[in-house]
Amino acid sequence: MRPFFPLLIAACLSTHAAAADELPRPIVQQYRLEFGSTDARATYLSPLRYSGQTAGFSAAWSKSFHDNPETMLMRFETAGSLSSMLNPAQTAQMIGADGSFSWGMEYRKRLPLDIQLTAGGSLEMYGGVLYSTRNGNNPVWPNVYPAFAFDASASWHFTIGIIPCLIYNRAHIPALGTFMCPQYGETFYEVYLGNQEGLSHGGSWSNSFRITDRTAMIFDCGRTSWELGYTYRHYRTQANHITTAMNFHTISIGVIPHGIGLRKKSKINSPLY
Amino acid sequence: MNKILSKARRFIGRISMVAVLSLTLLPLAGCKEEATPDYNDPYYNFDMLAQIVGDHYCFFEQKDIDWDELCKKYREKVTPETKQVELFLILSDLLNELKDGHVNLSSNFNTSYYRKWWSDYPQDFNSRTLQQYYLNFNFFTTSGIIYKMLPGEIAYIYYPSFANPISETALDYVLALLQNSKGLIIDIRNNGGGMLTNIDTLVGRFIDEEFTGGYIHHKLSPAPNDFSKGYPVVYKPCDKERKKYMDRPILVLTNRSCYSAANNFTSVMKELPNVRIVGARTGGGGGLPFSSELPNGWAVRFSACPINNARDEVTEFGIDPSPGCEVHCTDAQLAAGKDAILDFAIRMLLEWKEEN
Repeated sequence: MRPFFPLLIAACLSTHAAAADELPRPIVQQYRLEFGSTDARATYLSPLRYSGQTAGFSAAWSKSFHDNPETMLMRFETAGSLSSMLNPAQTAQMIGADGSFSWGMEYRKRLPLDIQLTAGGSLEMYGGVLYSTRNGNNPVWPNVYPAFAFDASASWHFTIGIIPCLIYNRAHIPALGTFMCPQYGETFYEVYLGNQEGLSHGGSWSNSFRITDRTAMIFDCGRTSWELGYTYRHYRTQANHITTAMNFHTISIGVIPHGIGLRKKSKINSPLY
Repeated sequence: MNKILSKARRFIGRISMVAVLSLTLLPLAGCKEEATPDYNDPYYNFDMLAQIVGDHYCFFEQKDIDWDELCKKYREKVTPETKQVELFLILSDLLNELKDGHVNLSSNFNTSYYRKWWSDYPQDFNSRTLQQYYLNFNFFTTSGIIYKMLPGEIAYIYYPSFANPISETALDYVLALLQNSKGLIIDIRNNGGGMLTNIDTLVGRFIDEEFTGGYIHHKLSPAPNDFSKGYPVVYKPCDKERKKYMDRPILVLTNRSCYSAANNFTSVMKELPNVRIVGARTGGGGGLPFSSELPNGWAVRFSACPINNARDEVTEFGIDPSPGCEVHCTDAQLAAGKDAILDFAIRMLLEWKEEN
C-alpha cells in the first residue's frame, strides 16, 4: 500500500505545473441551511434519551491548491446548530448548541466517467454543549474537541435534461483530539472551585467517535447553483463512566454563488469535480 | 460505445437523484431505531430510581442504610397495576428512608420532601417576634439582608435565605452602616440554604487571608464508596477596597432549620477564631444535590457530593453550637416577645464589650 502522507506532502511541495494550472481556480463557496431531527443521551444529565428538532447552518470554501491544482485541494468549513429536545414524557427540555471550524487539505484523483475522489486531513475545533433546563448542580454537559480529522469525498457530475448536476458524498471523521468530561458524580460547583482533575481526556476512536456524512446534489443553474442534501451527524464519547451520544438527521438547502462552472464555456479548475 | 456510456450515465444520474431525495426525506419520515419501552411501567420506573440513587447517593455508609434491601422491600409493594399516584407514594416512602432534606421526587402533581430533619425539633425562632420586639419594624433591607444597629452598639444582620444573591456593593453598604459596632450578630435561623457562592461573598468580609473552610468529594464511579479525595474549598478575603468586619466578635445564630448552604456557612464560620455559633444544632444538608429523572418524566434530586468541614468530617448531620452556646426558645417565650437565642447573643456581646 502506498503511504498516504508522504504522497500528500510530496504533492504539496511539488512545483510541477500541470496543464490545468493555467485554468482559473475560483473559491467555491457553499452556504447551507439545515433542518431536521436530533436525539441525545447524556448520562451525566439524564439516563433518558431526549429527542427533538435541530436547525443550523454550514458553509464551506474550497479551492484547488496553488502549486498543484490538479491533485491538491484546500478546504475551510464551518458549521453551527441549535437543538431543542424533550424527554420521552415531554416534561423536561434539553437544549443543545454546537459549532465547528475546520481547515484541511485533500489529495484529488480524477477517474473516468467524471468521477472524482478526494482524501485528506483537517484540523478542527469543535465545541458543543447540552443544557438540561431542570438540573441544578449538573446542568450542562460541555464538549470542546480540538482534533485531527480524516476527510474523504466522492463526486460525479452528469446532466439531467439541460441542467448539469453534481452529486457528492463527503465524510468527515475526527481521529485524534482531546475532549472534556466531568467526573462521574462531579458537580459544576466543584469545577468552579477549580478542581479540573480528570476533566480532560485524550480522544481516539476507542472513547470518542464522531462522523459527519453529507450526501448532496448540486444543480448548476448558471450564475448560481443550488444544493439539496442530507446530512447525518453522530458523536459519542465515553469517559468517567459517562456516556454521551447524539445523532442528527438533517436536510440541507444550499446556495453556491457564482455556480460551480459546469455550464460555463470557459473551463475552471473546480475543487468539486 | 458512446451511446451505451451516455445511457449508463443517464441511468446512474437518475439512481443518484432518487438516492439523494430518499436520504433527504428519511429524517422527515421520523424513523425510529429502537422499540419504544413503556415509560409509565411502574417496575421500569422503580428500578430506574433504585439504580440512580444507588449509584450516586453519598451517605449510605454514614446513615447505615442497606439500599438494596430497602429497594427489595419497597419493590414488593409495586404491582403491574400500580397507578402513577400510588407509585409516587411508594417511591416517596422509599426516598424518605434516606432521611435527607436534599432528596425530592417531583412530578406534575406533587413533590416529595422529607421534613423530619426540622419538624421533629423545636423551631427556636419567630420572625414576628424578631421584627416586632427587637427591630421595632424599623430596619434596612438590601440583597435579601435585613440589618440594623441594636442598642449597645451591637450590629445585627438577618439573612433568611442563601437563595438571595448578595451583591458586593450591597454588602459594602451593610458593613459601612454597622462599622462602628462592638460586635456583630449574623442571624441565619430558618435559612434553608441556596447558593454556595454567597458563602464566598460573605466569608470574604471576615477574613484577611485565605483559608480552607472545608472539603468536597464526589463519586468516581457507580461502585459503592468510590469517592474522590477531598478537594479543598478555599475562601479568599474580599478585595482591599471593600468593607470588612475584622477583629471583633461575631456570633452566628442558628436553629434546626438552618440547612444546606446555611449549614455549610455555619461550618465555615465556626473555624474562625473570633466567631461563636449560638443557638441550636443546624439541620444538616452537607451533601450537594445531583439531579436526574425517571422514564415517566419525574425528576429526582439527592445528595451526591459530601461537603465536609475543615477537618474533612461529614456535616450531613448538622453543626453543633460552640461550647456553652447552645440555647433554645420555647414557643411561650417567643409568643411573649422573648427571643432567648438573640437575648443570649446580645448579653454575650455586651459582656465582651465590658471586658474589653
